[in-house]
This record gives sequence, C-alpha cells and structure tokens, in this order.
Amino acid sequence: MSLVNKSMQLGLLQLRNLAAAATTTSPSSSTSSQVLLCNNKKLYSVVSADNKRAADLMMDQQSKHQVSYGKTIASQRHDWNRAVNEAEKVVGYPTSFLSLRWLLNDETANVALHLRKLAGTNHPLLKAAKNLIYNGHNNMQAWGLIVLLMSKAAGQYNVTNEQDIDRSVGVLHSQRTLAEITEMIRTSHLVHKGLVNMRKSDFPDPAEHEDMTFGNKIALLTGDYLLGHTSVALAGLKNQELVELISTAVKDLSEAEFVARRDSQNNILPSIPSADRTNYAINEWTLQNVLSGASLLGKSCKGALKLAGHNEEMQEHGFVFGKHLALAWQAAIDLSPFITRDSSTPFNLCSAPVLFHIEHDPSLLVEIDKGLESIENVDHPKIYETVFNGPGIELTKQMQRDHSQRAMDLLSVFDESEAKTALTNIIYAMGGL
Amino acid sequence: MACLKTLRFPFSQVNKQILRRYVQPSTPALCLVNFEQLKRQNSNLSQLLAPSQLRKFTTSVQKPADQKFDPYHLLEDDLKDVYADIRKELVDNTSLEELKTIATYYFGGQGKALRPMVAILMARAINCHLGKDGLLQSQRQVAMISEMIHSASLIHDDVIDQSDFRRGKPSVNVLWSQKKVAMAGDFIIAVASMMIARLRNDDVTVVLSQVITDLVQGEFMQLGAKEAENERFSHYLTKTYRKTASLIANSAKAVAMLSGANDELSEVAYQYGRHMGLAFQLVDDLLDFISSTDALGKPAAADLKLGLATAPVLFACEKFPELNPMIMRRFSEPGDVEKAFELVHKSQGLEETKALAKSHCDEADRLARSLTESIYQKSLISINDMVLNRMK
Repeated sequence: MSLVNKSMQLGLLQLRNLAAAATTTSPSSSTSSQVLLCNNKKLYSVVSADNKRAADLMMDQQSKHQVSYGKTIASQRHDWNRAVNEAEKVVGYPTSFLSLRWLLNDETANVALHLRKLAGTNHPLLKAAKNLIYNGHNNMQAWGLIVLLMSKAAGQYNVTNEQDIDRSVGVLHSQRTLAEITEMIRTSHLVHKGLVNMRKSDFPDPAEHEDMTFGNKIALLTGDYLLGHTSVALAGLKNQELVELISTAVKDLSEAEFVARRDSQNNILPSIPSADRTNYAINEWTLQNVLSGASLLGKSCKGALKLAGHNEEMQEHGFVFGKHLALAWQAAIDLSPFITRDSSTPFNLCSAPVLFHIEHDPSLLVEIDKGLESIENVDHPKIYETVFNGPGIELTKQMQRDHSQRAMDLLSVFDESEAKTALTNIIYAMGGL
Repeated sequence: MACLKTLRFPFSQVNKQILRRYVQPSTPALCLVNFEQLKRQNSNLSQLLAPSQLRKFTTSVQKPADQKFDPYHLLEDDLKDVYADIRKELVDNTSLEELKTIATYYFGGQGKALRPMVAILMARAINCHLGKDGLLQSQRQVAMISEMIHSASLIHDDVIDQSDFRRGKPSVNVLWSQKKVAMAGDFIIAVASMMIARLRNDDVTVVLSQVITDLVQGEFMQLGAKEAENERFSHYLTKTYRKTASLIANSAKAVAMLSGANDELSEVAYQYGRHMGLAFQLVDDLLDFISSTDALGKPAAADLKLGLATAPVLFACEKFPELNPMIMRRFSEPGDVEKAFELVHKSQGLEETKALAKSHCDEADRLARSLTESIYQKSLISINDMVLNRMK
C-alpha cells in the first residue's frame, strides 16, 4: 500500500463516513462508524455495504435522469460511462480509489469518532462528501484517469530509473502517483470549498453553532491533510521541476476563489462587464475555469510527460491538451441543465450560457444582482427562461466544440494506441463534436 | 515506547530516566511510586545529573545570556528583511488584490520570527563548523519558508478558533470570511512549496514537505485524546513534536543539508531543533498557567478552556486522580477549568513541566556544544536560556 494510497484513505475515509452519515437519517450511520473502529474484517463488510448503497443510489439517480432528462442525455451518459470504463481497462486502473481497502490507525479511529458527531447536523460538508463519493466516478476519478491515459499514449522516452517502469501496464509508477496526487489536490480543494462562512450571530442556538464550527474544523483539517500528503508524495518523486509545476496548480486553485463577485457564502456571481463587452463571456469564463480546474489537469498532463522524459515541446502539448479537455468538459457540464429543458435544475450563475447572455444583454444583471447577499435570492427559473431563449446555449456549444477540437488536434501528435483511442472516445462522449 | 522509537529520541541519560518514568509506567501502582520518586528527585535536579552535565547546566543557566550572543541582535541584518521578502514573494505570485491583502496580513513584522531566527542561526553555525563563512541564499529561503508554513497554520487555526486578536491586530477571521481565509492559507502553502522546489534539492524537499503533514496530524491528535491513561504523556509529546518541534527541527536540518552537512551533522541540527522546539512548547504550556495569574489576577488557562490537557495537568493528575475524568470530558463541565487550574497549582505539575523543559534545553545545549565554537554556536546555546527564562 503506497503512502499516497494510505493518505487518500484517511482523507477519504472521513468523507465516506460523512457520506454514510448524510445518506441515512437513522442512527445507523453512527453504528457503521462504530463498526469501522472494531476491526478490519468487519470494516470490509461495512465498506462493501456502503458501496452497494452507493451503487444503488447511483442506479436510482440514473433511472431518474433517464425519465426526466430525455433520451439524448441518457444515451450521452451511457457513452460516457462506456468510454470511461474502457479507458480504465487500458491503464489497468482500479474502478475507484474509494473502494480500496481502508487501513485504520489510531488517529483515523479518533477522527471517525468525532465525525459521528457531525451526522444529523446541517453542515454542507456532508453534502459535499456525498457528491464526491457518489458522483466521484464522473468527476473526480476521471481526472487521474486522463493523466494515466496521457502517460500511456505518449509512451516513455528517457526514463533513467528502471525501477520506475511498470512494463505490464505501460505507465510509470511515478505517473500513477502523480495521477493520485492530482485527485488528492482536487479533493482537498473541494473540501476546503465546503467550509461555511458564518458568524456567531447566524446561529442563535449554541449547539448548532458548535456543530457548524466542528464541521468547519473537520473540513479544514481534512483538506489540509490531503494537501500535506500531496506535498510528501510529490517530494517522493524527487523531481523539483515537477514539484514546482504542481505547486503552481495548487496556487491557481486557491486563486480561483477570489475571482469575479461573491455572495456571503463565496458563491460566484458574474463580474460587471465594461462598456465594451467584446469577449466578456469568453474571458471571464476562461479565467475562472482555468484557475479552478483546467490548470491542474493541464499541469498534471504536462508533469506526466516530464516524468517520462519527454522534451519541453511535448510537455507543452500535454499541458494544452489537458487544459482544453478540462474546458470542454466544463462547457459540457455548464450546458447540461439547459439541454434538459427543466428550469428547476440547479445551474451556476457564472456558467457559460449565462455569461454569454450577459455579453449579449447585460440587463440580465438586474436580476442576478439580487443575489449579492445570497444567490438564493435570485429568481433562477426567470434567468433560466431568459438564457434558454437567448444566444447563450448556441455560443456555449460552439465554445465546447472549439475546446474539444483543440484537444483532439493535439492527440494527432501521438502514435495510434489504445490509450489514444480511449482519450478520443472520452472527447466524443462529452458530446459536441 | 513505540512512539519514542518513531521519533528517534536519542536521549541523554537524564532524559531517558525522566521519560521512562513518565511515559512508560509498567503498572498503575508502580507508576505512582515512580512519580513520587521522581518528584523527590526533581525537587533537586542535581541528583539526576552527572557531574559534568551539572557543570554545563549551572554555567548556562546561572549566567545571564551575554548581550553579544543575543541572537536577534546578532542576526539583525539577516532578519530585518525577512517579512518584507515574504510579502514580496506572495504579492508577486498573484494579481488578485484581496488575496494579496489576506495572504500578507500576518507578515507585517509583528511576529517574533523565532523560526527564521533559529534556522539562520543554525545555518551560520553549521557553515562555521564546516569552515565556511556567511549565509547561503538557499538557507535564507528556508528561513522564510519556515515562517510561511508557520503563518499558514496560524491562519488556518484562526478559521476555527474564532480568536479575535493575533499578533497585536484583529485576526483574519474577524475581517474576512472563513472560505477566503482558508484559501489564502492554501495559497501561502502553495507559494512556500514553489520556493522549496526552486531550491532544486531532492532531499531538502523531502525534509520540508514532512512538516505540513506533521502539523495537520498534530491537529488531528489534539481533536481526539481518548487514549489510555498510561499513553497520555507520549501522546502529548508526539502531538507537541508534530505541532511545534517538527517545523523548527526540519528547518534546522534543511539548512544543514544545504551547507553540505553529512547525515550525522544534519542529525545534530535536527535534534537540536527538536529539543529546542519541545522545550519551547513545554514552557508555553507552563506559561498558560502562570503569566495569566500574575498579569491578570485571574486564571486565563486558555488550553484548559479549549479542552486540552497539557504537561502541567498530566503531571498533576498523578497526585490528584480526580483530574482524570475531567481530562476525559475535556474540562467541559461547569467548574472543571477552575478546579483543574487549582489542582495544577497545588501539585508539582508546573515544576515538573519546567524540569522536563530544562532537560530538553540541556540536550539542545549539549548538541550545540558539539559544533565548532563560533558566535553563532554560542547563540544557539543562549537561545536555550531565553526559552527557559521566558518564565516571568
């Protein structure tokens, strides 16, 4: 069990506990934590029971999607899952980090005990944890997968350390570690985003205030824990250019929380455009999404090629590929609520269709600015209707196409391989091309 | 003992004796006997010390620190721009104004810069030991990095602890939202990691990366102290190492490695920092019971209020077992804090804490004396006095 795996386990064990707590309102979640503390054997059964529950939940969600989202989404989802599943086989990668065997030490046990206290509170970390675990397959996990596929598609050039080579899979051990680091960084950032902004006066009930403070503490420490192990794991790769590169990606993520306007919970609101609105939407959207994700995927792809001894030019290809892929991906996510034709679907006020609409007609900001204190005060269905009937969706599709095409073009520098095919399939499965 | 092994304690006889008694009582009954015994011995520390050690001990403690060995005075030039240089690193790494403001907030120069001071002092002392002069740019970078990691951890502490003041000004959480403050802390860590990477030294990166993990693990240990009574003290020491001493020790090791020190010499630097860091924190925990009484006329006992059982309490509960249930419930019931405070003062807990701090200072002292004599080496010795004499 590598160091990284172990630390992932500790960090994610906490999330799993939280997720278990979030899915059950009965005290059964705390009993599951108790069982976790007993011994490893029982642990397996608890974890696998959790997995089953997670799988059931996902099935449930999917069937719901199929009913309400209509056929296009259902089949797109199907393509997506197939592309990812096949890609996982290519790199010999476990279906999920989260189903790994958890090893417990005393510290973990203590933390798990504390986490039980969070069950039944309203701390949004519970929800964040649930999303991470149950939607992990489509979001978080896939990032590490992309890094591994990129590694395999590019092949190995100038690897001096024979021990690093895993011939059976065609991916370096160090590249695999980097893939895990990428996911740890993303998870750490998401967990820190799960903090609640609060003042004492927000919670007149002292017990509730204490719950929320405790939730914040766990979120902060869990994120820090993952960040700390990221730096230990990175240091273990003994490549200082890589450490610097990935550290800048961590820096970019932290910067992302300071761009554009924010409500009291730091939810993002569109910036006010200047008088000349040319390229307002593209510039705003790209800045936000490069900082909040595309930079990490791009730099991780670049880092994977660096580890394999590829030259600067090739590394740069890796960066640009990862960046465009992440942006195409984000555009697809931004689009999906507007394709379902269901105005009750939650959507981000800074998603691409909304920003394109503001560029077209800034009067939309009148409604959006009602959310300066809290985005909940914005009439979302109204915004949805307006955006739906404007040019935003078409322009977003165009932008997604551009990014997908750029990513696809970059793949042409690699020789044909099953890894390259898998990457191509993933790009197609996102739709738009 | 497992804990001690992992921490690689190379204790002198004195320390071994003290620790064996405090940390590993074989049975509860024997434990009591040992404590009584030790208290008698501690009341006259000289009984524990070999004659040669006693001589060093008395010279270093009784003679007030010589003015010219005052490290802050000695390193004035090295230290004067540390905060400004850190601010510049942070500001140059982002164009976002609000992030600049939060990230640089605690680098205004109000801190006592203990960590950069120790790192630079060790760097210069090791350089002299190896027949070199001056301070390497890379060593100064480590000094900056150590202060950045420390401040990032303070910033994250403030997110949770809701303290209103820090370093003489309103704390970050009073001025900005929790999420932004948390992200600003991440930003500082990221910039520090970039600086570490730019030193382009694989081994130094490994050493410094460990620190962040130690800090977080120390915090986790502080969250849930439900360990058995006989493991409490080793738990406390491990936590203290991770939360305080690791940063000082690993920074000292890093500057030694950058100077070209071999493993043995790097280990001296590391152990010096570890002992000095442990002593520093022990005294800190002690002052929580003392300075407040003198200064405010009422117990502040901030640690007790946070539910934390530090060395004075752990020592005291050997004499007053009624402290045990209070420790278990983290002093949460009305009157617990006051009662525990009182019992600590009735016991020998404070003296024993100081004796333990002293023994760590002694060990640091011994390690410093193994280096070639120089003003920096002498200052390393005099810091130990400063650490102990913080007692008012």
